[in-house]
Amino acid sequence: MPLDTSTYSLALLRLDGRRWNELRRLTAQMRTQASADGSAYLEMGNTKVICTVSGPSEGGAVRPGGGEEAVVGVDISIAGFSGVERKRRARNDKRVAEMQNTIATAFEGVIFTKLYPRSLITLSLHVLAQDGSLLAACINACTLALIDAGVPMKDYIAACTAGSTSSYSSNEEAADPLLDLNAAEEQELPFLTVATVGESDFVSVLVLETRVQVGRLEGMLAVGVDGCKQVRAILDGVVRTRGGKILEGSTV
Amino acid sequence: MAQTISVAVPGQLLGAASEYLPGPGTHIHDSKLFASILGPIKTTSPPKPAGPQKRLTKITPAAPAVLPTVSIERDISVGSGLDGSGKSKAEILPEVNSTVLCRVTRIQPRQASVAILVVGETVLDGEWQGLIRVQDVRATEKDKVKIFESFRPGDIVRAVVISLGDQSNYYLSTASNNLGVIMATSEAGNSMYPVSWKEYRDPETGASESRKVAKPF
Repeated sequence: MPLDTSTYSLALLRLDGRRWNELRRLTAQMRTQASADGSAYLEMGNTKVICTVSGPSEGGAVRPGGGEEAVVGVDISIAGFSGVERKRRARNDKRVAEMQNTIATAFEGVIFTKLYPRSLITLSLHVLAQDGSLLAACINACTLALIDAGVPMKDYIAACTAGSTSSYSSNEEAADPLLDLNAAEEQELPFLTVATVGESDFVSVLVLETRVQVGRLEGMLAVGVDGCKQVRAILDGVVRTRGGKILEGSTV
Repeated sequence: MAQTISVAVPGQLLGAASEYLPGPGTHIHDSKLFASILGPIKTTSPPKPAGPQKRLTKITPAAPAVLPTVSIERDISVGSGLDGSGKSKAEILPEVNSTVLCRVTRIQPRQASVAILVVGETVLDGEWQGLIRVQDVRATEKDKVKIFESFRPGDIVRAVVISLGDQSNYYLSTASNNLGVIMATSEAGNSMYPVSWKEYRDPETGASESRKVAKPF
């Protein structure tokens, strides 16, 4: 348990040398695949995700009866080589299914689905490398790809994770909230994934899968929401770069 | 608002709803106007002489017309095509009845897949996928057509679009004398010349291969 040993409390530096409130390097590109309606490639530290959007297209029999609004479908495929050890994933992994559902619900909230009745917007995510904050990286990549596809949205959804040092209750006072956990930290610390809409504090996704003392939750959430705003600023820069290219007349 | 911000991103404030009318690509939230897609901002003022001078006999509510409309242009679908002279990059798409040049990418017993390269006189930026079904290869004796005797991968084909097809393919036809293969390479790799309506010949080996040949002009 490297984080519970003395290193963090001595220097207040994490395993990869960051301080508690530092994000990892976040880079992204839009329109990476010209053949898709919209696409984006995003790296959060060593987590690498490709997202492609197809649609709005004819809905088919995805959700019969609804019809008045577009349906957002999410399909996540995690490459076998993405993790530390090669894994053969079951066809219907419950964790992946929950991530798909989370992302779909979040984006149905910001996309103007009423403009596209009886149609389907498919977000297809390919995880190339995993190093923590997978759900957050997927959400950020989806935001960029949807903007690239020109799907009307209220605002960005920006996501990141927040954790808390020391998973046991004895050193409650020494517990520090941490921003943007990597895989090693996710293994042993309680963490949550939070996503906010635009610059507001409106939380659209909040996923907490580990046990954590309720007293630490508020601090984690505050740090997470703050991190989302930093992420949003970075995404905004990426989108504006892309917008500048549109003005120059490039189509690809 | 002296400063003009040229590009809007989703969620960007564009102004109060009392000052502008929402155009395409915008939405109203809390009686403010926001962008909902990425693209250049376009503000269109209503044409001033249009209203009252022409329609003196009608009583129309004049108030909303004086507001300028703010819209966000979507570059690929609508945008640049409007100001034709300046930007020649306006996307041209194959339409029904347009003549296209395409390269055969794959042949199957019932259809040939092609990549559309040229529409009319315009060379496309990208490629569009098309399909020539066996019944669309020629107009007569349709049931005797064999795809592999009509096309080979790599051939350049002149065809006409008969349908926009399904989501991924345009449906093309070569059922006319002037449509069909216009450039072909032999199995030996030499470019061939047409000798009849269904035959190409290799100038070096002298071997002939069957194709659906387009009538030369």
